Amino acid sequence: VRVLFFGQLKEIVGSAEQEAELSEGARVEDLFERYGRRFPELAQFRNSIAASVNQEYAEWRALLGPGDEVAFLPPVSGG
Amino acid sequence: MGATEHTQMALAEDLFQLVREPIDTRAILERLKAPEDGALVVFDGFVRDNFKGHHTVYLEYEAYEAMACAKMREIGGHMRANFAIDRLAIVHRLGRLEIGETSILIAVSSAHRAAAFDACRYAIDALKRGVPIWKKEYFEDGAVWAEGEKPTQQAISRPDSSTLR
Repeated sequence: VRVLFFGQLKEIVGSAEQEAELSEGARVEDLFERYGRRFPELAQFRNSIAASVNQEYAEWRALLGPGDEVAFLPPVSGG
Repeated sequence: MGATEHTQMALAEDLFQLVREPIDTRAILERLKAPEDGALVVFDGFVRDNFKGHHTVYLEYEAYEAMACAKMREIGGHMRANFAIDRLAIVHRLGRLEIGETSILIAVSSAHRAAAFDACRYAIDALKRGVPIWKKEYFEDGAVWAEGEKPTQQAISRPDSSTLR
């Protein structure tokens, strides 16, 4: 899957876009946990961010499939 | 002209944009003033020179552009479905903005003022809580990401009953 980070999350991870290989049955939350282990600072954002899959808001329990575009969206401040 | 035909024409004229140049407010408003309407409501959000007592030097906006555009269109769809409006524009600027520059322009025309006011209010509230756009504030001594709200789909599809009626 393709993984996108924005705002503060992008700064923590150090890049806006990553590619990740997932095993079958992996969910959005599994993907986030994996990055949380690599970047401990990321984990504290778990409750204040949203996730999207293919540009639609998604549940943390949503299943991921090949080619999905997942994004982690910190609190928004447009306008 | 049939009602359906009219709706399709109006939809074709709707403007949803993320831009990196200054927003040409005057041109957008002229485009939205249809002769058959009597009201045009405009929300012009611009860069404030302070944040929690700190003097802001400039701002930077970034967006998840593909999703932000899609969500702006979705807001437009809800505006049409819920308010008797005619033309509409939602334009958000990205990149570096100086104090006083417009970051968001929402303009809505309608035959009568109430629908345009209500639709405009819904649109800015939904955008602030449902569209993936982020703002970073630059001060003389550092920078912070603005405190925002956890984005949700509900902000767009089920806004407060006070604004959607």
